[in-house]
Amino acid sequence: MTTLPPTMPGAVYDRGYRPYDGPRGGRRHATMALWRLSVRRALGLRRSWRQKYFPWSLLAITTVPAIVNVGVGYAIKDDPLELPEFEFFTYREYVGVSTALLLFVALTAPDIVCPDRAQRVLPLLFSRPLTGVDYVVAKVGAMATIVFGFGFLPHVVLFVGQMLVSDGALDYLTDNAEVLWQVPVSVAILALYYAAIGVALASLTDRRIVGGVAILGMALITSAVSGILVQASDGSTALAVVNVLALPLAVRDLVFLGHIGPESGLSGVDGGGVLAVGAYLVVLLSALALLFHRYREVDL
Amino acid sequence: MHPVPVPPLLRATAVTMDYGGGAVALAGLTVEVPPGSVGLVGANGAGKTTLFRLMLGLMQPSSGALEVTGRNVAADPVGIRSRLGYMPEHDCLPLDQTASDVVATFGELAGLPPRAARQRASDVLDLVGLDEARFRPVGGFSTGMRQRTKLAQALVADPQLVLLDEPTAGLDPVGREDMLELVGRLAGFGISIILATHLLDDVQRVCDHVVMIDRGRLVLAGPIDQLMQTTGVLRVEVGGRAGAVEVVAAALAERGLAARAVDAHSVEVDTREHGEIAFDIVRDTVADNGLRLYALTTRHRSLDDLFLQEAGR
Repeated sequence: MTTLPPTMPGAVYDRGYRPYDGPRGGRRHATMALWRLSVRRALGLRRSWRQKYFPWSLLAITTVPAIVNVGVGYAIKDDPLELPEFEFFTYREYVGVSTALLLFVALTAPDIVCPDRAQRVLPLLFSRPLTGVDYVVAKVGAMATIVFGFGFLPHVVLFVGQMLVSDGALDYLTDNAEVLWQVPVSVAILALYYAAIGVALASLTDRRIVGGVAILGMALITSAVSGILVQASDGSTALAVVNVLALPLAVRDLVFLGHIGPESGLSGVDGGGVLAVGAYLVVLLSALALLFHRYREVDL
Repeated sequence: MHPVPVPPLLRATAVTMDYGGGAVALAGLTVEVPPGSVGLVGANGAGKTTLFRLMLGLMQPSSGALEVTGRNVAADPVGIRSRLGYMPEHDCLPLDQTASDVVATFGELAGLPPRAARQRASDVLDLVGLDEARFRPVGGFSTGMRQRTKLAQALVADPQLVLLDEPTAGLDPVGREDMLELVGRLAGFGISIILATHLLDDVQRVCDHVVMIDRGRLVLAGPIDQLMQTTGVLRVEVGGRAGAVEVVAAALAERGLAARAVDAHSVEVDTREHGEIAFDIVRDTVADNGLRLYALTTRHRSLDDLFLQEAGR
């Protein structure tokens, strides 16, 4: 006959402290970790539904035109009237859904940098193997990644959809092969530019709302000033370059068309393309220089 | 086989930090401290935070050299941070994140893979007593819980050395006791600490070595048990009748011992000239006068005495 062991009293185990002897990364690992955490924060992941609502709604909104375009194309595909191939907008024009992306940057860029300064998290961050340059790279990189994703994914929907509803998918692919590099390049140009400007302006303040207003304010003011100057010059002037948020769209035109598009204020200006690229680079590098200066040193 | 020599925790050689405009935070600081629990003591503005900044490689000294855990900070100012933990004095936590996310985040930033960082965050939060609160946002934490979270993020990557800047600041007596108990346990885990504070009691409680600085200069450094040697002063508590203290003081003076009444029941006796025989003289003197001897204790120097004496204040 087996006997049961005597009843043991409850025991509390102190697990104590366990040393870590696994792999450790250095600067690159820390930069990637900060990039990943910033992307997660901007997309509202591991946060309440209220923080998720805006970014995912925006992605849906930017994708709607592509879905409409594909849907209408499908609906009239077998039309006996043989309507011309439906094109709601071109791939080049679709890169210009920049208002939605700008709104996203204005709301998200302050959210990924302002709290670090306002809540004095920066000293803790810089007590890790990170430098100011790494911090800027991670934050701008995170912002650019999301803007790129939100700018590029609708194009994927548009391209795949158009290909599927076309008479010949392979023919559509070969006929539009050039957009396979034009779209990612121009969206990347736009994303990097908006991300750098957004994060740079947000870095100037501890308050998110001020950062957001600064970004939108700059967009509105430069666009209004540029509009006035262009109108006063009969629709075309080199001074249109003051519209800093339209500069990546001018560069986009160069990628797609090889010249500035007709809707730009720089259209018809001698050397407009060079002027646009030069101004784009100046603004981008100035934003990065401001950021490197802001985070060159942190007080404990 | 020869034992592997253990490098000093901190070796500063003539370190000067001049911010310009006459603001010299450290003035030729030279000190070497062994691994263990070290108290860095000094008043506000003494140079403690500047020394931490230099140890973390966040800035270069104007002159001099600094080694932390045997590594030259100037040679690898960023890499040195991968094995250091830092707990600032001020609030520094992202308030809208849970304690678990905060600690795991700083684990990842210190170089741990994401999965390991999350696992260690759980372990370390358990260690500091926040196991049940780990999924609550830090913004809703009390001061004591925030301090524990700060300590947890400093420990999450298993550092060789943790720099603690006033870890008991703002805590109530119970919270202070808990924090000191936690800090005192770190040495047992093989983690060295440097505890910057102006509270000498805290250092006396948890450290075995002390470095005192004042206005950027070294005042004193050494093992606490050696520094707190006896002062050669005996404290004698007597009673039995009114005026007992005065009687004993006069009788001891007749026998060649300098004595003075310090309150209604106690006399302090300088025994430095007589050595241990003074204990017998005191006992006999009290007995010969028909008084009662309640206590006979040697007075040790406190860190406060040492600091005031060495800093010339």
